[in-house]
Amino acid sequence: MGGRAGFFLSRAVTNIRQNVFVNVVTVGTITLALLIVSLFLLIFVNLESAADNWSERVQVTVYFDKELTLLEQNTLREKISALSGVSRVSYVARDEALKRFKSRLRGQETLLEGVRSEVLPTSFEIALKRSHRETASVESFVSALKRIPGITEVQYGEEWVRRFNSFLNFMRLIGGLLGGFLVMAVVFIVSNTIKLTIYSRRDELEVMSLVGATPFFIKAPFLLEGLIQGTAGSSIAVILLFGLYEGFLHNAGGFLTFNPTASGLSFLPLEYIGGLLLAGAMLGFIGSLTSLKRFITV
Amino acid sequence: MIQLHNVSLAYQQDASALNNINLNIGKGEFVFLTGPSGAGKTTLLRLLYGALTPSRGQVLIDGQNVTRMTPAQIPLLRRSVGVVFQDFKLLHNRTVFENVAITLEVLGWGRTDIGKKTMHILKQMGIESKYNLTTQRLSGGEQQRVALARALVNDPKILLADEPTGNLDDANKNQILNIFKEANIRGTTVIVATHDRRLIDQSHKRLITLVKGEIVEQVEKETTDNDQTF
Repeated sequence: MGGRAGFFLSRAVTNIRQNVFVNVVTVGTITLALLIVSLFLLIFVNLESAADNWSERVQVTVYFDKELTLLEQNTLREKISALSGVSRVSYVARDEALKRFKSRLRGQETLLEGVRSEVLPTSFEIALKRSHRETASVESFVSALKRIPGITEVQYGEEWVRRFNSFLNFMRLIGGLLGGFLVMAVVFIVSNTIKLTIYSRRDELEVMSLVGATPFFIKAPFLLEGLIQGTAGSSIAVILLFGLYEGFLHNAGGFLTFNPTASGLSFLPLEYIGGLLLAGAMLGFIGSLTSLKRFITV
Repeated sequence: MIQLHNVSLAYQQDASALNNINLNIGKGEFVFLTGPSGAGKTTLLRLLYGALTPSRGQVLIDGQNVTRMTPAQIPLLRRSVGVVFQDFKLLHNRTVFENVAITLEVLGWGRTDIGKKTMHILKQMGIESKYNLTTQRLSGGEQQRVALARALVNDPKILLADEPTGNLDDANKNQILNIFKEANIRGTTVIVATHDRRLIDQSHKRLITLVKGEIVEQVEKETTDNDQTF
């Protein structure tokens, strides 16, 4: 069996050497197609991460018109933390509130002359887990919060949360649609390129069949060839993407200026790169398999 | 070796390519199949290597019923049937050696044995010095000899040839005919479809004439002095 596998592999390599042009065309097509997909993925992943950073701003604030004692703070903090979806709870005392107020009015501090911290409310700022930042989740969290005795005034910027989530959903929908069309186009182009390259070698299939080769014997080297082409194409695409990224994309901070924490684009995570390599290999293999079915008749 | 019983084949509902063919070709026979274009010669040959299945009737090769073979059995049949064509059907991006060795690779032969056997058959065909050339660089006669080497390298029981000399000049025709005769002497049953009258006349072999898908004439082998001379 090992001998046969070795034979098929050496046949596949010989076939690649003997059909350099069609192999270059196929690998080139797979490379370009996957480069487009990986560029799209790079942008999409960075947009998602930017959106994730932005969603940190989804925050619920509970106001109190008096300074809470330590015991009251702890009791309320425990009750709030017990609600599902809470990632962080922090108490903002009057002094801290005044400090923040002043820092927001930097340059116009005179406006706050004579204002004492007693006029400001104290508050609990509650950050929510990522999975609980959807509009409906925030609303249900707020109504659960209001059921805690002692909590009366809650603010969470309803309109902002609603708009932000609408924007996120819209972005995901467009991304999903674009990604879907892109993948469909890539599969169509690559499978047709492979079909044409196999069509150009139909004589080989015919001769093999004439001399008594089984369909498996005929297909195996072609499938290995497809696998090699796909892996080569996706590897080159990843290398080119990395080159593009290192060349200028990682500095493209301005691209995501709406993201306050972004200092540039980050490269694709390892699992995405693995996925791209696997997708390339599968594209070559399955493209060859489906094309061969059409041309191999006993 | 080859038996056809009431074989008919229709490509389309109205046009019959073969009509009620009954034929018996013995082991080691040499048969010419002739007739005008469209008479059904190629169709008949294609039935014999399992490329077509008859609409009606039975085709038996070496005791095996081809019409009842599963797709997995067809490759096994083809390993005992060599086929050559007018257009040679060679792989032009491969060398002469590789074109011939393919038959033995399919049979799972080892590399050393493939090398020896392939060079042996190329020597028989008189083209051993061209083993490393791609087939595009050969003349028509040389290309047909490569195709014959590919068909004969595994000593098949049957050799089928479809207009094998159609593209060749007279000198090459004679060479190819001699190769057929030598294979026949070694025990291979040879069937040559041709409408080359000169080839048929100088061979004195059994002749079957097809017209419009029917056998209209069968002439048994004539033994002449000429027959012994190659």
